[in-house]
Amino acid sequence: MTPREIIKNALNEGRTKLLEHEAFQVIKYYGINSPDVVVVTSGEEARSLADKIGYPVALKIVSPDISHKSDVGGVKLNLKNPEEVARGVDEMLKTVRSKAPNARLVGVLMYRMAPQGLEVIIGGVRDGIFGPVVMFGLGGIFVEVLKDVSFRVSPIRKEDALEMLREIKSYKILEGFRGQPPVNKDAIAEMIVKTSRLLEENPEIESIDLNPVMAYPDSAMAVDARIILKRQ
Amino acid sequence: MIDKFFNPGSVAIIGASDKPGKVGRVILENFLKKFNGRIYPVNPNYDEIMGLKCYKSVSELPEAPDLAVVVIPAPGVPAVLEELGAKGTRAVIIISGGFRETNTPQGEMLEKQVKEIAGKYGIRVIGPNCIGIFDNWSGVDTFFLPEEKMKRPPKGHVGFISQSGAFASAIIDWMAYNNIGVSRAVSYGNKVDVDDVDLLRFFIEDEKTRIVLMYLEGLKTSRGKEFIKAARELVKVKPVVIYKAGKTSRGSMAAASHTAALAGDYSLYKSAIKQAGLIEAESFDEIMDIAKVFLTQPLMNGNRVYVVTDAGGVGVMLTDALATQGFEMPRTPPDLREELRSILPAHCIVENPIDLTGDTDDERYMKVLEKILPRSDVDAVVVVALPQVPGIKGSLADYLIEAKSKYGKPIIAVAIGGEEARKISMKLESGGIPVFESPERAAKALKALYTYSMIRRRCD
Repeated sequence: MTPREIIKNALNEGRTKLLEHEAFQVIKYYGINSPDVVVVTSGEEARSLADKIGYPVALKIVSPDISHKSDVGGVKLNLKNPEEVARGVDEMLKTVRSKAPNARLVGVLMYRMAPQGLEVIIGGVRDGIFGPVVMFGLGGIFVEVLKDVSFRVSPIRKEDALEMLREIKSYKILEGFRGQPPVNKDAIAEMIVKTSRLLEENPEIESIDLNPVMAYPDSAMAVDARIILKRQ
Repeated sequence: MIDKFFNPGSVAIIGASDKPGKVGRVILENFLKKFNGRIYPVNPNYDEIMGLKCYKSVSELPEAPDLAVVVIPAPGVPAVLEELGAKGTRAVIIISGGFRETNTPQGEMLEKQVKEIAGKYGIRVIGPNCIGIFDNWSGVDTFFLPEEKMKRPPKGHVGFISQSGAFASAIIDWMAYNNIGVSRAVSYGNKVDVDDVDLLRFFIEDEKTRIVLMYLEGLKTSRGKEFIKAARELVKVKPVVIYKAGKTSRGSMAAASHTAALAGDYSLYKSAIKQAGLIEAESFDEIMDIAKVFLTQPLMNGNRVYVVTDAGGVGVMLTDALATQGFEMPRTPPDLREELRSILPAHCIVENPIDLTGDTDDERYMKVLEKILPRSDVDAVVVVALPQVPGIKGSLADYLIEAKSKYGKPIIAVAIGGEEARKISMKLESGGIPVFESPERAAKALKALYTYSMIRRRCD
């Protein structure tokens, strides 16, 4: 499905938040690097796909009615073989059904966990005055406590995006810190540009958070995506 | 196009009055004093005001005035606007308050009517609830503050856009007091139609304006992108200094998403200001300091600054202030060091900041500056002249004024002190060398010049 179809479908169902796999599909369409995800509905199905996906596997419950997944047992990480994966899915479905009996369950999202990198955040929001704007910052306390972020009004060119990176106070961390190698700034900048285009081309999207994005020496990957639509 | 506001052949003042102190009287007086076009007072209660024939209504006017200034109470404004539209007037300044700003249903409704009528006839409207235009070149002056309360500055080249009427009149008064020449100032109030974007565009072509100052509280909904676009065009030809008021974040959107929570109003404006190539001033002092530099100084080629001082302490303060602003203060290169050594007494410091010490006189400054200014590795010079030292008599000022045009690079000065400092400052400033009372202010103003120089370079 194209982003247009995914968004339309969600709005038709009265949802203002895209499901996780839908959000991943939308960002993939714009060339934003992210894990390959599948949604399974049984342990059996999960077992058959596990080897293809690769390990370690992460599982997350997919439901329009559950926003805090781990509170209802809807998150499992670091599963290392087909048996663990199959058991994980079956257990998860059972636990969630008992803890959130009224929630509609779409299935279980399954993907290979990305290796740890430097966590950064790319976000976008539609402002009443400026239209789409994109934010960049480092993850964790840098955003939450220090609010060390930079913004640009879309459309954003790559040189603007690189300037956003340089503008944060903790920029030096991107350049390598305590023996860590520098991360690929071009890859992050390109992801910012793609996020800007995604917002420009989909006026129904109110905001997007790619949090975290794992930044590596050679690439970057959005390992979580949250897309909120405008209430119609 | 909004040119007619600034250069009308005729103007009607609706609500003109002969009662001293009334807005309709002050504005009429303003026009009588300086405006060369035809003036039509309109007020049903008079046959004549201040020697001019007064018309009972807009429809009676002998022509469609190019510009109309409306000062009658708000409830009567829509009807007058309708008449003006039918008559053929396409530029209207509505001074009257009592519209949306009152937060009443009636005020909102009146403003909506104004908008509709303006749209129907294609009338461009400035206001309502504003003080309108002060145009030094055409004599259009709707600032209803009488001359004895608000001095008018001399004709000049500073353009001014202000969301606040009170701030606009205060700054105009201040510029008059400091003898800074103004081209045109506009305060647009509720901006039912003409807004920041239109005014930025107007200033692109306005030959009388060389720099634009701007006081902004907030843009109209969805105007952000157009604002950035218009500003980008304008800064290609002249610098724009902006003060953004209202810096606290709105916070109420917090819940929606991480990004929305962090996207406080001001952080977005700050990014937009940067993207547009505007120079942001963070205080009133800074607006004026930056304006002074832009009005008098050529652009910088790079960020290498030399300091020549007669006070070691101020030299160090300046070094700190310049470094804080990101300037490079190069070490004096060996060839220059040797040259300076050969002309200076042994106790002087030839390392940048170059310290001529307290026994210097005007001549020592001139000899040193003659070595520094022509060099291609010098992008700007800050001269500290504490006038308390006995050797400073005044010829340094004449020299600096001449050197600025001779060498075509920025020269600014720092003078700290009382009567003597004031004297030397006035002389320098009248010759186009801006003088600052503190190293920090000098460094910040120079930084604005550097930032704009780089913006211009990127545009070319």
